[in-house]
Amino acid sequence: MRYDPPFHLTNGLIPTVVTVVLLAVFPFVFDASYLRHLLILAMVFAIVAASWDLSFGYGGLLNFAHVALFAVGIYAYGILAKTYGVNPWLAILLSGPIVALVASFMVLPVLRLDGMYVILVTIAFSQILYQIVISQSQITGGTSGMVTLPMLQIDGYRFVKDGKIGYYYTAFVLMVGSVGALFLITRSALGRSIVALRDNKYYAQARGVSEWKTRLATLAVSAFFVGIAGGFYGSYVRVASPDIFGIGSLTLVLSILLVGGLGTIWGPVIAAFIIILLSESMASLGPWRDILIAILIVAVMIFYPGGLWGVVQELRELAQNMRSSMMARYRRGAERAVRQKITGIPEQMIDTAHGRIAVVDIGPSAQHAGPPILFLHGNSACKEAFQNQFAHFRDRHRLIAFDLPGHGVSDNGSPEQTYNVIAYADIAEEILQKLGVERPFVVGWSLGGYNALELTSRNPAAYSGVVTTGTSPLTVAPDDFARGHNAKSHIILAGKQYLTGRETVTLASHATVPKSDKSAFLHRNVRRTDGRARYYMITKLTVVDWPRQMRMLREGDIPVAIMNGDDDPFLNHRYIADLPFGNVWKGHPTDIPGGRHAPFFNQPEVFNRELEAFFEAAVKDRTLRRSA
Amino acid sequence: MSVESFLFVLSGGIVLGALYALMASGLAVVWSTLGIFNFSHGAFIALGAYIGWQVSNAEALGLGHVAGLSATLVVMFAAGILFQQIFIRPFERKDNIIAATVITTLAGATILQNAMLLIWGPRAKQIVAIAEGTISIGPVAFSGNDIALIVMVALILGFAGWLLARTRTGRSMRAVAQNRQAAELMGLNVPLLYALAFGLSAAMAGMAGYFVGSIRFINPTFGADPLMKALIVVIFGGIARFTSPIYAALIVGLVESFTIFYLGLYWAPAMLFAMMTVVLTIKPSGLFGHHQRTL
Repeated sequence: MRYDPPFHLTNGLIPTVVTVVLLAVFPFVFDASYLRHLLILAMVFAIVAASWDLSFGYGGLLNFAHVALFAVGIYAYGILAKTYGVNPWLAILLSGPIVALVASFMVLPVLRLDGMYVILVTIAFSQILYQIVISQSQITGGTSGMVTLPMLQIDGYRFVKDGKIGYYYTAFVLMVGSVGALFLITRSALGRSIVALRDNKYYAQARGVSEWKTRLATLAVSAFFVGIAGGFYGSYVRVASPDIFGIGSLTLVLSILLVGGLGTIWGPVIAAFIIILLSESMASLGPWRDILIAILIVAVMIFYPGGLWGVVQELRELAQNMRSSMMARYRRGAERAVRQKITGIPEQMIDTAHGRIAVVDIGPSAQHAGPPILFLHGNSACKEAFQNQFAHFRDRHRLIAFDLPGHGVSDNGSPEQTYNVIAYADIAEEILQKLGVERPFVVGWSLGGYNALELTSRNPAAYSGVVTTGTSPLTVAPDDFARGHNAKSHIILAGKQYLTGRETVTLASHATVPKSDKSAFLHRNVRRTDGRARYYMITKLTVVDWPRQMRMLREGDIPVAIMNGDDDPFLNHRYIADLPFGNVWKGHPTDIPGGRHAPFFNQPEVFNRELEAFFEAAVKDRTLRRSA
Repeated sequence: MSVESFLFVLSGGIVLGALYALMASGLAVVWSTLGIFNFSHGAFIALGAYIGWQVSNAEALGLGHVAGLSATLVVMFAAGILFQQIFIRPFERKDNIIAATVITTLAGATILQNAMLLIWGPRAKQIVAIAEGTISIGPVAFSGNDIALIVMVALILGFAGWLLARTRTGRSMRAVAQNRQAAELMGLNVPLLYALAFGLSAAMAGMAGYFVGSIRFINPTFGADPLMKALIVVIFGGIARFTSPIYAALIVGLVESFTIFYLGLYWAPAMLFAMMTVVLTIKPSGLFGHHQRTL
């Protein structure tokens, strides 16, 4: 089950509330009835485009009959309210289910067909609807349509009065309700089935998603909302014209959907306002208006296939990158002394192929009798996480640790090249070589554990030993990643690009310990971390040669220790216990009693004792397997 | 129903069928080669009619039918290639090429339609009949224009068929349609062939526009109906071979003709779309279709 926080805890809450409030107070600020008219149209088309997005964007159904269904909604309102004298409010409500019923006729051909053929059959379907409307002129008014449809009113108060304020708020409520409902649907079990069928039909079916039920629900739900929008539109413009079936309105709604961005719900809503206002502001240009809008569509398709929403995401990423790298640059200078006080080790910046990296190295000295130790920190953390080890081992060992790119006070890297386990191991190799460190022990925590296994498995003979803590070794990514970890919500946070305030606290608390004076420094680093480092690291898990690491663990001659907290909230302990370890210290993973995901941090005494014992054993005899 | 009216309806159906065949074959060339559906085909038909009118008609340049048809052929071929470079080429290697090109060709149609409106204005125009008089065969009199249309369409389709079946370029086009990767490995210039196929399709659309323009009034939106008919024909017949849309066009033309006669004008399109939906649902590759894509 994928983790999605409830909406009120996501980053989308504030922009949404601001927009809703702005739209709600708008009529009090501007009383120009023309401007309100445009906003009413924009809100109607926002519903039309957002509901289309459910079938087109989320469902991947190239359903081109959607705008024709909008027209059916208008006619349904017209026939009910005018011909049969049904109450206009009831007629709007009934337009939804009527249009949903009409749309469900499409399900059979849509089930049988794929891709291009769905486009063609839905266009044919909309043409049939058009022809029925044209040919039944005694009911629908034929080519001249229906006019003077009943308008909305309550107790004789006509909604068009006072600068259309009644219509404005009706449209507003309908839009907020429809878009909210559509958003909830995309996050429900139905929404997930819809997306699953789009992404991998056969896999979804194998997992028990019924194709025809889901497709039928997609078409019906998406049609229901467009039907309501059509009913309201009919009551507002008070005309039902067969022109709506034409290619002109199809192109308009299509441009809203695409400029907004497919599969986003929010994108089309924003784009509806932009396109309607833009198109109205160019009304004086005549044919040039349509030409310019068509050019806009083509340009968006070529340069921004993801639509406006894609642009918003890019800007957001840019902002996050700028904020996090400025934070790193500031802390690099201003908090140098604070860091040195925590670690007790001087810091230096080293230029690598992946940018400038902050490294701590106490340097070789005569009393450092044991082998050097390289510490690799985990996701969204920093080198200071190992402060307790620095204090304990600094007298006997040379200690090296560095901030990963995008973490701590190192530079941000380029997402495609830098944020993956292979590049992290490259950086470690480069730093070891530049500092002239030979045959170190490598201690890796969590993501750093993967980096440690990647680094040492390249050339096991060059290392004195390797320790992982809070890491599940993998054979096949991403399958084993899911198996090796506890399927709780916070593991998703480890790969989430943008964290909300609450998620930041959750991730930091689970990864280390709840916030305290001692852990505050680690908690701050979650906010500094480049979100792309989390996201790309997870998506690029598959590029790593995992079987090589597993071979090393199973049959390599390098001393290995697996030390996990017995209370680690991220790990699946049974999975780790069942791995086929060969040359592992003690012959099995070492549990740190009371240890969480960072046992070296919350149980430093036990961890340091075990680590020391492992170092001793490994130095005495590399082949732990035989001595065990 | 008398024999005369039956023959009248039949001949009307054959003329319609011939025109549909020309429109649909152009559409099928693009579909089978590039694997996309060109929603600008209707706008191409209208553009061809306008160019033909501009060159041939007395009110404009007045150079006659031969010059008109030649100009339509050349200009539409070039316009097709230009169109393909702008609206199709950027998406050729993308996963979502089908949906993307539906959208860009729709946008392209809007641009063409409004450009025609700006250039030639909203007033309807008509190309003068290609041949005058009537020819009587048995009890029925056929209009000379209809006979000329059928003959010219047959010649054009024959020529296009020869081009695709017998010339090196045509065979390369069919090779690309069957298997793009293999054709590329054989050293065929796929981008060039795509452009040529699109140009050929646009030229065929332009010719169809010229002929339709001689029997109906031309206006900027006049391509919409032919586009729908071509769509029905292509789906109905499939694109398995170059000839499938031609047979399908004749069937569609006849069905339309007889439906109008027996059920009335408004029922014909609904009937055709229903027919198409049934064929799609039962046999998606079309009446004459099989799974492999070819020309």
